[in-house]
Amino acid sequence: MIKHLKPYDFVNALVITGVLFILSSSLFALGAGFVVHSISQSQVEELNAFSTEIKEQFQEHGLDWLLDDLELDQRPVWNRAESLVRLDEHDNLFKVVQSGVLLLGSELIFDADDVATWQTLSLGSDQEFELLTLRVDLDDALFVTILQPRSYEATLVSSAFLQWYAFVSLPLLGGLFTLVLIRIFQQQKQTAQIKSTLLQIAKSPDSKRLPVSKKQSRENDIANSINMMLDDITDLHGTMKTMSVGIAHDLKTPLSRVANRLQSMQHDISDPSLIETHLTHASSDLNSVISTFNNLVRLNSIESGQHKDRFIKINLSDLIDDLAQSYEPVFEDSGRTLVRSTVSEVYCVGDPDLISQLICNLLENALEYSDTGAQVWVRLQSHTGSALLQIGDDGPGIPEVDQPHVFDRFYRGDISRGRPGNGLGLSIVQAICQVHGANLTLLTNQTGAVFNIEVPISK
Amino acid sequence: MKVLIVEDDVDTADFIKRGLEQHGEIAHHVTSAQKGMLQASSSEFDVIIFDRLLPNMDGIDAVRILRGSNITTPIIMLTALGETTDRVAGLDAGADDYLVKPFDFSELYARLKALTRRTPLKQEALSLSVGDLVLERTARKVTRSGQVLDLNPKEYQILEYLMLNPGQLVTKTMLLEKVWGFNFDPRTSLVQTHVSRLRNKVDKPFTIELIKTIRGCGYILSDHD
Repeated sequence: MIKHLKPYDFVNALVITGVLFILSSSLFALGAGFVVHSISQSQVEELNAFSTEIKEQFQEHGLDWLLDDLELDQRPVWNRAESLVRLDEHDNLFKVVQSGVLLLGSELIFDADDVATWQTLSLGSDQEFELLTLRVDLDDALFVTILQPRSYEATLVSSAFLQWYAFVSLPLLGGLFTLVLIRIFQQQKQTAQIKSTLLQIAKSPDSKRLPVSKKQSRENDIANSINMMLDDITDLHGTMKTMSVGIAHDLKTPLSRVANRLQSMQHDISDPSLIETHLTHASSDLNSVISTFNNLVRLNSIESGQHKDRFIKINLSDLIDDLAQSYEPVFEDSGRTLVRSTVSEVYCVGDPDLISQLICNLLENALEYSDTGAQVWVRLQSHTGSALLQIGDDGPGIPEVDQPHVFDRFYRGDISRGRPGNGLGLSIVQAICQVHGANLTLLTNQTGAVFNIEVPISK
Repeated sequence: MKVLIVEDDVDTADFIKRGLEQHGEIAHHVTSAQKGMLQASSSEFDVIIFDRLLPNMDGIDAVRILRGSNITTPIIMLTALGETTDRVAGLDAGADDYLVKPFDFSELYARLKALTRRTPLKQEALSLSVGDLVLERTARKVTRSGQVLDLNPKEYQILEYLMLNPGQLVTKTMLLEKVWGFNFDPRTSLVQTHVSRLRNKVDKPFTIELIKTIRGCGYILSDHD
């Protein structure tokens, strides 16, 4: 699976990982926020309980006892600076005021309520403190004010998360956002370019292609596929042109000969033996036209794959032996020899009629184009998963310039011009191979024409 | 032989009709599948020629309907579509033979003769004979004037088919179909080569020539001249 991934897939994976990372850390933050909140809540409850407690103790034992209990019997007075240091060190601050005079505690001035309340106080310095404040009225003239800083744990957790967000998550989020924006922008640019180029291609499909940069990207891959498709279409277009020219040529020649014969017949109308000759020739020319059409129809039907419905398991060895036996006397009569060497019990799945035609066409090709006295062979070898069928002759072979075109429709090398046939025989062979999933090759550097066909076998 | 021609192309129909009449056969021509089916079910014909592409109706459907209503008259289908799959569709629908346009009249006539002459008894006969030529099908043994002929499998099959249709024209295409099972036409003289070898064995050593070549058409096996 990994090997199918492209570099741009890794970029996408990175973006997704980043988003997941931010999402999960936000979840953690939510949890942490909850923890901080519950710590603060319990601080409030504790302080309210403490307020009730010192009220009761004051009523029972008096102020001195209370101060003693609070370890404030030294009656310390903290000036502003000392107060701030205490707050910084998360120590509580007290302030005991009797009739408007500070008995002991911090000199800081702030408001407080008789229930514990969180306040953000600057207390005259640059620093801001989040403090829990409470005023406890002990009697009409005497009250105690308590300042309690946020608990050490809560501060630690919230500051850790603040730092985490400031230095890791937010930059990451920003980076990802920029990356996504850049990609969207690039994609839009490239899509617009593909769109406008496609419109140009529609006007001249054979020459224009989509631009592809060296960079690996999804758009480049798509552009590459579209270009490949366009190449195929151009090839098809070319084949169609060659075909139309081929059809026109193949039909025009015999048809004009028929036209000539008809004129001659008019001229020779009084001579029955001449009329007979003209008729025979005209008829044979027309037959060649019909044969070209039949082959075209057949080629088309093979390529459409409609024969696949009738595929059956075939004993290839028997079929080849049978055909080769049929052709042996034909080769013999033409002064050539057909040598057959086939392994037995090779099976394949296909249409016997088509496979027969494949072998006949190749044998007839050999019969037509090999030298008199040539040796032609049919071999069938079995490999694992496939069988190799080879049909070849020992000379003179196909000229190198013609070799790349032998399977093209209507292509006829110089050597074959003026001979019967319509340049569709090998195209039909190739179409039959394709529909059977067989691989057809013309071997190079041979003394003769040697065709190899690799046929998928069936158990 | 009384023949029904169902064909919308008047030229083709006239060509067939004239040919049949020259051979002394009776031909009746209709131009639509509906009329063809009506005629086929109301009067007796020996054989029906049914065009495949008719206006308003596919010949294959018409043949299927005829067969469905128990009309067993032999049917040969004509078509401009030359593909094997079309042939199979035609034969599946109940046609007895299938011929691709354009065709030689002799080809059509040979096939019509083969269809009308067909009798079940003959197809299964154990022994066939024409003059002094005897073919024993169970032993796959062929003798002429008591002399055993050594034939290879293809030669045997060709002779068997000729002997099933004695005195009748058997075309090259018919042999390719029946003996080789080919639905395509090889360019080379495959049939000619085998028939000529067969003739060397069957006729050469004897005075009377049994296998006669009809030039450009095919072969006739007969002990008459």
